[in-house]
Amino acid sequence: MVMSLNQVSLIRNGKQVLKDISGELNTGKVIALLGPNGAGKSTLIQVMANLIEAEGDIKLHGNDFSEYSNEQLARSLAYLPQHSQLQFPLEVEEVLSLATLPFSLTRLQQRQQVKQLIKEWGIESLAQKDFRQLSGGEQQRCQIARTYLQLCNMKDSTDHCGIWLLDEPASSLDLEHQQQLQSVVKKAAMEGHCIVIVLHDLNQAMNLADEVWLLDRGQIRSQGNASEVMTESLISEVFKVNVRRIEDSGSSYFIFS
Amino acid sequence: MIKKLLVSPLGWLIGILLSLSICAGALFLGSLDVQSLLHTDIGHKILWDIRLPRVLLAFVVGASLSLAGVMIQSNVRNPLADPSLIGVSGGAALGAALMIVAADFIGVQAHFYIPLAAFIGGIIATMAVLKLGRNDMPGGMALLILAGIAINVVAASLIGLLTYLATDSALRHITFWSLGSLASANYFWLSLCSIALFLVCLWLPKQQRKLDAILLGQAEANTMGVDVKRLQIQSIVFVALLAALSVSACGIIGFIGLVTPHIGRMLVGASHRYLLPLSFFLGGSLLVIADGLARTIIAPAELPIGIVTALLGAPVFIWLLVREGRRLQW
Repeated sequence: MVMSLNQVSLIRNGKQVLKDISGELNTGKVIALLGPNGAGKSTLIQVMANLIEAEGDIKLHGNDFSEYSNEQLARSLAYLPQHSQLQFPLEVEEVLSLATLPFSLTRLQQRQQVKQLIKEWGIESLAQKDFRQLSGGEQQRCQIARTYLQLCNMKDSTDHCGIWLLDEPASSLDLEHQQQLQSVVKKAAMEGHCIVIVLHDLNQAMNLADEVWLLDRGQIRSQGNASEVMTESLISEVFKVNVRRIEDSGSSYFIFS
Repeated sequence: MIKKLLVSPLGWLIGILLSLSICAGALFLGSLDVQSLLHTDIGHKILWDIRLPRVLLAFVVGASLSLAGVMIQSNVRNPLADPSLIGVSGGAALGAALMIVAADFIGVQAHFYIPLAAFIGGIIATMAVLKLGRNDMPGGMALLILAGIAINVVAASLIGLLTYLATDSALRHITFWSLGSLASANYFWLSLCSIALFLVCLWLPKQQRKLDAILLGQAEANTMGVDVKRLQIQSIVFVALLAALSVSACGIIGFIGLVTPHIGRMLVGASHRYLLPLSFFLGGSLLVIADGLARTIIAPAELPIGIVTALLGAPVFIWLLVREGRRLQW
């Protein structure tokens, strides 16, 4: 077990944002956080990233967050926020190289890693560009690549795999790059990392996740195996839409009516 | 490559610039016979007691304000921020104005005490801003900026009140001081400002990648291992120290802290690895040039340096802004 959450609750401005969230993050698993807007998905992922303090018990490798420095946490957790806005002219390459910040690497190693990453992700044409000049989707890809590089370094610097926290990573991506994201997430899980991903696309969640946590108004309505949690009735009730689940050659798909 | 080329030969240029600036003034030292310069009291005095500390102080203060500007802009992730944002300039100006009016009222000479009062005012204002805008709360940095604005407004209105109470000579003194001048440069203030700048120069290079990370966002920087809160507090303390000492030594010099970092970014981008050394050199050089002009344009009289920095830097800045604005959507 990489992380455990026990009775995690959060009240902000008098409003219960999270209530009694419990669960475990395990190595090699992909957990999808699903739920309507305002369900608490982003807040929960920020709690997991130690960006928001919440009541309850959260343990990372059996220890409290308070026992880790920010640098140590960054060697265990990589977090992709929903939006990030850069006001200053940093080049894509410079943004990517920040992923190596928590690790003791020489400048040459940093440069080699970034070069390799740019090649693997097919973003050679973007490398020298001002990050602010990129489209929303391109910025998203670069940020995913940055956090992926951070994740890749975790195994080498610590004796355990990392946690990759992705808050709506697919929201600005086109179909090709959504598929690329899926394969990278699967590859990271195969390498033993644990991935927590906030998604809105039910079919993507069904295809990608080993486990689904379905949130509604700050509470977990259901959690467990994707096909068990994502039933027609529960999805229809939580998302307030008419949905049909179709089974075809061992896979499940959702269509909306 | 271009970035390295830009930063590396700057040291040589600065050397030439400093030498030229030492020569320039109401009396052009280059035109004096070298022998007489070394052996006469007047030449010796002009060179060692007036020009040298003044030119060196101009460079140190320019570099300090420029680095303070980079630090505050990066930490609050706001391109419009400048060192006065944390109340330090307002507090220092108030301290100085109080001392000028009080000394005038009592009828004593207060030249030495004015910078001291400015320093104390700057530090008190910064502490008040830190106390009001608690940085450990969510949105703490925004609160800090608002607290800085509030303190600046209070300081400005109190200075306004003091100008009503001031006599003609005190009023002229306040006005001249609020536009900045290096005329009272001496080795005491040069040493103090240099020590503060040296300390910052020891600390800052280790923070350059952390400052890059903050540019992406606080959440991003935190999850990349940066203790954002700690870095912000440390930066504000250093900004307050640099700005308070600079304002104390030579009054309020606007423009450098706000615009020099932008000129640097337009030339080498926002990566602090290049931006910090470039801003150091640019800020220092700009103030040396501005001071050289301030004391030669209407020699033997002097222009307030704040006017020169604005007149000199603003057109360069506008030119860069137009050029870069076409390329980026600034």
